[in-house]
Amino acid sequence: MSRLHALVSLLASLALGVGCSSLPHFGGSAPHAWDLAPPPVQDRPVVDATRLHRRTLANGLVVIILEDRRLPRLDMGVMVRRGAAIVPASEAGLADFTAELMGRGAGQRDALELASAVDALGASLAVSAGWDTMSAGVGGLSRDRELLFEVLADVVLRPRFDGDEVDRVRAEQLAALEKAREDPKTLAAWNFAAALNPGHPYQWPTSGRPETVEKLGAPQARAFHQRVFVPANAIFYAVGDLDPGALMTQVERAYAGWPSGPVPAPGPEPPDRTGRNIVVVDRPDLGQAQIVVGHPGITRLEPRRIPIQVMNTVLGSAGFSSRLMSKIRAEEGLTYGVFSRFAGRRLRGPFVVGTFTRVPEVGRVIELTLAELERIRSEPPSEQELAAVKSLLVGRFALGLETSSAVLSGLVELDAQGLPADSLDTYRGRIRALQLEQTAAAARDFVRPDDALIVVVGPAETLVPQLEPFGPVRVVQP
Amino acid sequence: MNQLGQALGRMGRLALWAVAVIVVGIGSSAAAGAEPAFEDPAARTRTTVLPNGLTVLTLEDPSTPVVSFQIWVDVGSGDEARWTGLAHLFEHMMFRGSKHLPPEAHQTILEQRGARLNAFTSRDVTVYFADVTRENLPLVIELEAERLRFLDVSEDSLASEREVVIEERRFRTESNPEGKLFEQLLALVFQAHPYRVPTIGWKSDLEKMGVAECRAFFDDYYAANNLVIAIAGDFDTDETLALIEEHLGPLRSRPDVPRNPTEEPEQQGERRAIVHFDVRAPTLAMAWHAPPGGHPDAEALDVMSSILSNGRTSRLYRRLVHEEPIALGASASYWELERAGLVYGFVSLRPGVRIEHAEKVFLEELEALRAAPPSAAELEKAQRALEVALIGGLGTSHALASRLGREWLAFGRIRPLQERLDAIQRVTALDVQRVAQTYLRPDKRTVLHLVPRPEEGS
Repeated sequence: MSRLHALVSLLASLALGVGCSSLPHFGGSAPHAWDLAPPPVQDRPVVDATRLHRRTLANGLVVIILEDRRLPRLDMGVMVRRGAAIVPASEAGLADFTAELMGRGAGQRDALELASAVDALGASLAVSAGWDTMSAGVGGLSRDRELLFEVLADVVLRPRFDGDEVDRVRAEQLAALEKAREDPKTLAAWNFAAALNPGHPYQWPTSGRPETVEKLGAPQARAFHQRVFVPANAIFYAVGDLDPGALMTQVERAYAGWPSGPVPAPGPEPPDRTGRNIVVVDRPDLGQAQIVVGHPGITRLEPRRIPIQVMNTVLGSAGFSSRLMSKIRAEEGLTYGVFSRFAGRRLRGPFVVGTFTRVPEVGRVIELTLAELERIRSEPPSEQELAAVKSLLVGRFALGLETSSAVLSGLVELDAQGLPADSLDTYRGRIRALQLEQTAAAARDFVRPDDALIVVVGPAETLVPQLEPFGPVRVVQP
Repeated sequence: MNQLGQALGRMGRLALWAVAVIVVGIGSSAAAGAEPAFEDPAARTRTTVLPNGLTVLTLEDPSTPVVSFQIWVDVGSGDEARWTGLAHLFEHMMFRGSKHLPPEAHQTILEQRGARLNAFTSRDVTVYFADVTRENLPLVIELEAERLRFLDVSEDSLASEREVVIEERRFRTESNPEGKLFEQLLALVFQAHPYRVPTIGWKSDLEKMGVAECRAFFDDYYAANNLVIAIAGDFDTDETLALIEEHLGPLRSRPDVPRNPTEEPEQQGERRAIVHFDVRAPTLAMAWHAPPGGHPDAEALDVMSSILSNGRTSRLYRRLVHEEPIALGASASYWELERAGLVYGFVSLRPGVRIEHAEKVFLEELEALRAAPPSAAELEKAQRALEVALIGGLGTSHALASRLGREWLAFGRIRPLQERLDAIQRVTALDVQRVAQTYLRPDKRTVLHLVPRPEEGS
C-alpha cells in the first residue's frame, strides 16, 4: 500500500466517523463501535503480479492468464470486443442466435456429441452475446484441461452451424421471445428501450424480435461469426489451477492459424431525446405496476464516469442507504426495491431508475422519483454523503477481490472496452480523490428529469389518469 | 435444493437484482475436482458453546480478503402457528431499529463500510449475514448484539414494513407465474404439514399482523440456544470469540422453544388442480413426497435428479427440448428440507403446445427410469456433476460459512466433504431405479396446470 493511499484512507475514515456519530441517539453512556471512527482500511493489492501473465500474439490476440492453484479447477474463454450493438435492426437477434449456435456443434462434434463431451466431465460450456461483446467459456476440473481447451478452440474457431440445429435454435429463440412477453419486468425494459432508441440496434432486445428472428439462418450466423471472431478483436483468458508457460504455448499453437480480418467498427451512436414522454403498456390483470424512468446516459469510456458513479451511488445504488431506497421503501413503504443505474456500454447506454409498486400508488412513486432526480441536482451529495459513499465503494471493491475469477473478469472487461489495464489498481485512489464539486457537476450534467421517458406496465384504465399530470401519455399493447 | 427451489423457497430482504456489483462473473460456472487433492477446509472448524447455549462455529482462512459473519436462527415459516408470514416479516423488522439505533441504521452503517449484508427466511431457517473486511468484524458483532438484545418493534415501523412485504409478495407471487405455481404446488402437495404455507405468508395475515405477534415471536425463537453463529474467512478466532462472549454472552436462553408437531399423513391417490394466470404459454408442475435431508436415499435422489435434469444430455432436456419441440425447459429435482422432502418437476411449455401432451411425454421419461436402471455412463456423469458442484461450493468465505450454519442446524454437525463424496460414489444404477420406483408412484403424484384464463363466457 502506498503512503498516499494510507493518508487518503485515513482522511476518508475520519470523515465517515463524523457521519456515523451524527446518527440520532437514544441514550447509553459507553461508546458503541458505530460511534467510533472506522479503523484504517488495509488496501490489499488487486492481484499478485507474479500470478498474472499478459501477452499479445503476432495475430493481435490478447492473452490474459491468472494462476490460482487453491482449488483444482480451471476456467478458460475467448471474448471478442463486439456484440449485438453492431447488428443492423433488420437482423435483430443475430448475435444471440450466433452465440447459441456456436455451442451447438463444433469441430468433429455435433450438438449432442459436444454436450456429451462437456457433461461427461461435470464441466460447463457457455456461449453468450451482449451489446458490446461475445464470449465462449469452459469451466471444469483442471485435470480435464486438455479436453476443455480443445472444446473451446473448436467452438471459437470451428463452429458448424448444422442445419437441424439452426432450425432448433430459431424455434427456441422465437418461443422464448413470445414467452418473455408475459413477464411485466421484461415488458417494461423492452418498451423503454424501444421508445428510447428508435432506429438504433438498442431499440430491440439482444434476442431480437419475431419478424427478424424468423429470417435468421446459417449464412447470417456464419457471416457474423467470421466478422467478429477475428484474432485482432479477441482476448483469450484463463484462471485457476494451470501452468501459465505451458498454457501460453498451447494458445499460440492452437490460435496461430486463426484467419485474420479487420476489427468491425463499433456501430452508430444512439439518438438523444428531449422532453417528457410516458408509455403505458396495458396489462389489465396486474395489481402491481413495473416502472422504468430514464433517459440517455453515458458511454463506458466517459471521462467523468467516476464522479457519475459516485453521484449515482448516493442517488440509487447504495443498497438500502441510497436516497431513492430511503425515501420510497424505508420511509414510505411503497416498494420492495428501487435502484438507479448508468448502463456501462461502449456506445451511450441509458440511465434508468427501476422500481414497482401497487397500482393505486404509481402516481405517487413517479412523483417521488422525479423529485429525487431533481433533488440530486439542487442538493448534490453533501460532504457527509460523499465520505460515506467513498467508504462504501472502496469497501465493496475489496470484497470483489475475493475470487481470482472475479478479478480476471474485471481485467478482461477493461481490455474488451478499451479502458486502461491498470484501472483496477487505480480505482480506490480515484474514488478517494473525488471532490464535492465533481459529483455536483455530474448530477447537473447527467441527470435530466425534464427529459425523462417513463414506462409503466399495468392496467391502463387506472394508470393513465395518475400519469397525465407528468406529461403526454401513450398506451401500447404488450 | 436446486436453484429454482432456492429462489422460490427463500424470501430475502431484497432481491439481488437491485444490488450493484463492481465486477461481474464470466459466463462459465465454477467447477472443481472430484477427487480432492486438497483438505476440506471445514475440517478446521472450531466449535464453541457459550454458557447461555449460543453455538459459535469459526473457520479462519487468511488467504481471502473477506470474512463472512452469519447468524443462523433455528426458525422458519415451518414453525409458524397462527400467523403465516410472521418469520419472514419479523426478519424484516430486525432492521427496523433498536434501543440505541433508529430504523435502517444497522444496514446503513455497515453498507457505508462496503459490507455485503442481507437476510433471508426459508421454511426451516432465518439467516442474517454480513460479508466484510476484517477490520469491520467487531462492528458487525456489536451491531448484531444490539438488535438481538435491544430490538424495538414499533407500530410505525411495522406499518411501513408490512407494506414493503406485501409489495414483495405481489412481486414474487401475484405478478409472477412461477412464484404463483410454486405456492399453489406446495399448498396442494402438503395438506397438513406447515410446509404447505408460503414463507412470505398469505396476504390477509400480513395485513393484520401486529406488534404483539412480532414481540412474542422474538421471545419464542430469538434466544441464545436457538442461534448458531458461523464465521469463515479472514479474522482472528480468539479475539473474535472474546468479543462474541462480551456482547452476546448476556443474551437470554429459552429452554422450551415451541415447535409444530404436525406431520404429513400418507397421500392416498393422485391430486390435481388448475391455476389461471395471464400467461402466453402454460407451465406444468408436479410433485411427489420424498424423505427429508440426511436420509440414506438422499444421494440416490440427487443422482436421479441429475440424470433427468442436468445439462443438454439429461433425459428431460433431450426429449422435451431437443428431440420434440415441447418445452423451453424441463426439470425434475429432489428438494430436501429438514422435516420432509419433495421431488418436483417443472415444464415450461412452448406457445401452442397442449399441456396434456407435455404431461404425457414428461411422465413417459419418469416411467422409463422406473422401468430400467440408467446406463453406467449416465450414472457416472451424474456422480461427477454432483461432486464438482459440491467442491465448487468451497470458493468463497460466504459459501463456507453458509455450509457450516446449514449443516449444524440440519444435522448437528458439519458433514465432512469426503463423507458426502463417498455417499455419492456408492450410489448404484439399481439404487436410482429403486428410488424412482419408491417415490415417483403415479398414485402419489400431485399435478398442477398453470394455464391462461379462459375467455369470458366460454
